[in-house]
Amino acid sequence: MLDLKLEDIDGILVRYNVALEKEMTPDEAAEELYPKDELIYPIAKSIYEGEEDDVVDGLKAAIAAGKKPIDLINDALMVGMGVVSKLYDDGIIFLPNVMMSADAMLNGIEFCKSQTTDVPEPKGTVVCHVAEGDVHDIGKNIVAALLRAAGYDVTDLGRDVPVDEVIEAVVKDKPIMLTGTALMTTTMYAFKEINDKLLEKGLKLPFACGGGAVNQDFVAQYDLGVYGEEASDAVKIADAILASGNDIEKLRAEFHKH
Amino acid sequence: MVKKYTSMAYAKADDMLFGNAKFPVKAGLGLEIGAGFTTPEINYAPRPQAGKSKDKLIKEYERITTDVMARMVQIGAPSIVLETEHVEQMSNNPEWGGAVAHAQKTIMEEYHDEYGIKCALRHTIGDIREDRDYLQLRGDKYSVFLEAFEECAKNGADLLSVESMGGKEVFDYSILRNDTAGILFGIGVLGSMDMEMIWTDIAKITKKTGTVAAGDTDCAQANTAMFIAGGLLDKNLAHTTAIVARAISAGRTLCGFEAGATGPGKDCGYENTIIKSISGVPIAQEGKSSTCAHSDLMGNVTMQCCDLWSNESVEYHGEFGGTTVQCWSESLAYDCAMMNTSLKLGKGKDLRDILALSDKYRDPQGYVVSYENAYKVGQAIAKDGNNNYLRAKNAAIESCNIVEEGINSGKLRLTRFETNALAKVKADLVALTDDADKFMSESLTKYKQEVGVFRLENYGL
Repeated sequence: MLDLKLEDIDGILVRYNVALEKEMTPDEAAEELYPKDELIYPIAKSIYEGEEDDVVDGLKAAIAAGKKPIDLINDALMVGMGVVSKLYDDGIIFLPNVMMSADAMLNGIEFCKSQTTDVPEPKGTVVCHVAEGDVHDIGKNIVAALLRAAGYDVTDLGRDVPVDEVIEAVVKDKPIMLTGTALMTTTMYAFKEINDKLLEKGLKLPFACGGGAVNQDFVAQYDLGVYGEEASDAVKIADAILASGNDIEKLRAEFHKH
Repeated sequence: MVKKYTSMAYAKADDMLFGNAKFPVKAGLGLEIGAGFTTPEINYAPRPQAGKSKDKLIKEYERITTDVMARMVQIGAPSIVLETEHVEQMSNNPEWGGAVAHAQKTIMEEYHDEYGIKCALRHTIGDIREDRDYLQLRGDKYSVFLEAFEECAKNGADLLSVESMGGKEVFDYSILRNDTAGILFGIGVLGSMDMEMIWTDIAKITKKTGTVAAGDTDCAQANTAMFIAGGLLDKNLAHTTAIVARAISAGRTLCGFEAGATGPGKDCGYENTIIKSISGVPIAQEGKSSTCAHSDLMGNVTMQCCDLWSNESVEYHGEFGGTTVQCWSESLAYDCAMMNTSLKLGKGKDLRDILALSDKYRDPQGYVVSYENAYKVGQAIAKDGNNNYLRAKNAAIESCNIVEEGINSGKLRLTRFETNALAKVKADLVALTDDADKFMSESLTKYKQEVGVFRLENYGL
């Protein structure tokens, strides 16, 4: 076939990502962020590495040294996950690393819970679902994992969820936010129905929506809708609610990009 | 037992060209696909409220069909294919899908009778074989699924397709955890097994109804990887991992043609150039005109060997230039006119190379699907064509080798993350057994334990 000369390629495309790549490796960047406490350090590092067994070993050592299991959730597991989240936000590590770290962290939380009768205090509850008629749930699964990794309790209703079931979960769990994902145009209309039923019941909470065919214009059509372009926006929206309240207009001003 | 491909349809990569397939397919009203010219294939989605009732849906598709046919006549396009990708309401209620097909075909026949425009209607049935918690690839859901194909075929659809989901439960788990063996097992083994089953049955329906079994795409898996990978600055998935998933998907998608499909393969199958090199069937492709649906770094290269040129999907609504289906079908038609002109002038191969080269070095995905590299992946598949596992593994390793060659040439420039991910996925692949039974046994044990929704009965195991 015809081919381009090496020197001609730059005039056709620019590899911006190569030009921007950080000097530090991800491991080096993580090392700078780990806490220095010798009991916490190995736990945080194991979370970054996604090594579930090592996380539990680290927790056992910390408990044996006198740390309270319930305190280790916030003081060690969440700290380790914070390192991972920062590196992801900074574009230094990829999503699969975050997912594996989240698995390790959740495993660690379960271990801590098994070692105490104290009940951990979550940051808040978020209800997640995929629209009725739609079975594509990889986006929702990413959203749920990232929310859990950020310390939220997640009620995961799964996929193809009937409108009334979503309403019931909101009534029961009193979440700070509801999320909905959809891949197809005719399933995402369910979001509008959920919005209307929530308002009928006087339930005003942010309803963060995203996914394949979902766009900002559609989400902005219903009163509670806040559009999330990326799965990681769900965590940012939840954090914004905790920090500044659940004013939909304010959230739209911050998260509607177009 | 299906007959597997163990040799290449084309003697060399250079023999492949857009608008020309070794085995053209006659379909619909006077159309022959892959017989020396390219044809636009417009794809659309109804507006959200249109799914409320059967009548509303039929009306929506009547408007869409009339808009497209009228615009094609207005600009003098010689041929057009319409693809209706089912919304779930149409596949779950086969009678709805049939009614939509009938309404669309009636309009198309009127335009064909009055103007002589060559046209065909593709219906892509939704893979509805799931309940809320699990894939349910066999059983009651499968009966409705096949009924949906038959209803559409009886009522006017000329080409039948699907984007099937076999293996997706393991794939979804694995792709988010950089689990190479799981990606290979989900797409290459489980996906292939499901493909062989459904396409044997779909081919029987098309034989009975005189329609065309057009083919599948690994949208549910390889496109999920491509979509998660995103653009140059996204950090959700290494593009080097995404192209390995794509290479594996070629062996899976090929199973449909081995079980009786004849093409044209579906537009979003970015593995289609590989498929064409092995099978010689015509293919639909999407690229720069599918930016209305997604961004993929392969806008031009995919046009290199296409027989139908598609926009992937666009919601039906108004734009300044008309409705979206009018605007996008017009753009597709001009692209086809350009390709067809180059063929008439004997410049087709030059245009093909320009299209491929404009994206080849943009991304590892475009690099591997560029036709001469796609051909090499095809050879790796055909070499062990009788073994679904081995050919998937071969394709994956070959795609890694191709990307490495690109890096070594200095022309394909990747970040350290991308090259590290490539090294990891290749090491994982090389470490895998060559024994398909052993791989199957180990994978069943592992993923049954790790993936809660993985059910062996879906695969007859």
